[in-house]
Amino acid sequence: MLVVVDALNKADFPGLLDEMFRLRARVFGDRLGWEVDIRNGREIDKFDALDPAYVIGLDDEGHVVSCVRALQTTGPHMLSDVFSAILDGEAPLRSATLWESTRFCVDTNRLDRGNGRNSVSYATCELMVGSLEYARNSGITDIVTVIDPVMDRVLKRSDNAPYGYVGKKTPMGKVPALAALLDCSDERINKVRAFAGIEGDVFADETVMARLMAAEAERRQAVASSYMQMGMLDNLVQYLNDQYDNAHSDEERMAVERLAAQLHVVTGMPETAMLAGRSIA
Amino acid sequence: MELIDLGNGTNKDAIFADFLHKIRERFELQHAAYAGLNPVNQTIHGFVTYSDDWKAHYARHGLDRIDPTLHKAGRSIAPVDWRRLSRDEHYQRVFRDAAEFGIAATGLTIPVRGPFGDTGLLSVTSEASQHEWELLRSKILSELQSVAVHLHDTVMRSDSLSRILRHPNLSKREIEILQWIAAGKSQHDIGTILSISHRTVEVHIKSAREKLCALTTAQAVARAIALGLIFPI
Repeated sequence: MLVVVDALNKADFPGLLDEMFRLRARVFGDRLGWEVDIRNGREIDKFDALDPAYVIGLDDEGHVVSCVRALQTTGPHMLSDVFSAILDGEAPLRSATLWESTRFCVDTNRLDRGNGRNSVSYATCELMVGSLEYARNSGITDIVTVIDPVMDRVLKRSDNAPYGYVGKKTPMGKVPALAALLDCSDERINKVRAFAGIEGDVFADETVMARLMAAEAERRQAVASSYMQMGMLDNLVQYLNDQYDNAHSDEERMAVERLAAQLHVVTGMPETAMLAGRSIA
Repeated sequence: MELIDLGNGTNKDAIFADFLHKIRERFELQHAAYAGLNPVNQTIHGFVTYSDDWKAHYARHGLDRIDPTLHKAGRSIAPVDWRRLSRDEHYQRVFRDAAEFGIAATGLTIPVRGPFGDTGLLSVTSEASQHEWELLRSKILSELQSVAVHLHDTVMRSDSLSRILRHPNLSKREIEILQWIAAGKSQHDIGTILSISHRTVEVHIKSAREKLCALTTAQAVARAIALGLIFPI
């Protein structure tokens, strides 16, 4: 089951996003050895600050098992910036109906090797179908995706072969990366669906979304109230404020802000309330 | 659809407003509105097909400060159907007022992101029933996306500083393909000549069109010739 999380609803799903960033750290940092920045076990880059959309796959227990990120090609995106080496100095494609998809990954630890609903193969195809459908439903006709040769083979095996490539294969850490083109046509979507035996709506409906939101809020509430009972939250907030006030550099202050951001994820307490009146302008 | 020609226009705002009226007619919509922000020269642009009464009401009550179609939709990468905004704290206020001025609550906003931190929003409304609206939306959405980017790019290029910054940056492949089109080759032929799929040819043509601020391939070829990117044949 898939959910779309973007800037409009991300405040409702901080737990899902946090799990997603940890999955990306395991896949791109540990397993694939890409040159990515990992802090506190989370892979987050500057494009995550540009309000991208994420399609996130969940298993039956509600844990994140797959994810992919989408950005418009009319504005800043990875091929126009950090992946520009792939294009060999050429200008990237720019189109209103072309999105860029990056950081496609699945959790090979949590998923099994079979063909069932909890397999790597099914989760991969479900995410392909979902990202293509989300794009298609937004009026997008094509996707340019930055992938490694393994993912390229996975696409071909899943009856989802790219119709073309742009630029050239370029090393990105231990493995080469390349930019492939996919259309968001019904024909392609139906082929991947048929290959993996995916029927019906791959996206969570409104009822399920509401339930996921409620579960996140409840979890934050529980953490916050247990912290509260122990008097820990007050102490932590006091500690953060002291650290901030005694910091000697912007770097130290930023480290405190990062801690506050993490505390916000687990407790739901607004960052502004934690560091009242303190901020690096 | 005709592209926006600022060549001999003295009143650019009127030309942009006229383009919105054409959007409305072409896609059978009730209203169209554009808002754009250019951080390079710190200008805000706005054009609408709404009545003067609504514009006055909107300004008098400062609705621009709370309107979720302005403040929320721009943070999405996908078009935002206004139903998605109904949970916003200011939704009721803005949409109730709009309804009093006869503006339909059925609509969507297309967010545009440009290369220099510039952003644009094309909003459209429709008087169709929910079912008809969903059919219309899926039929027009792709073209509306292209039109939104075309309008945004043209507005952003409408002053001389931005025009220099935004000189079209085409790849060798895009130029090569436009040259073959100028030579009369079809997409299919070009794919065969360059040993790439015809859809790859198409995606390059779309990209070249947009970089040249053109809505059709013929317009793109003409502009590429005018800019000296390709040779006339």
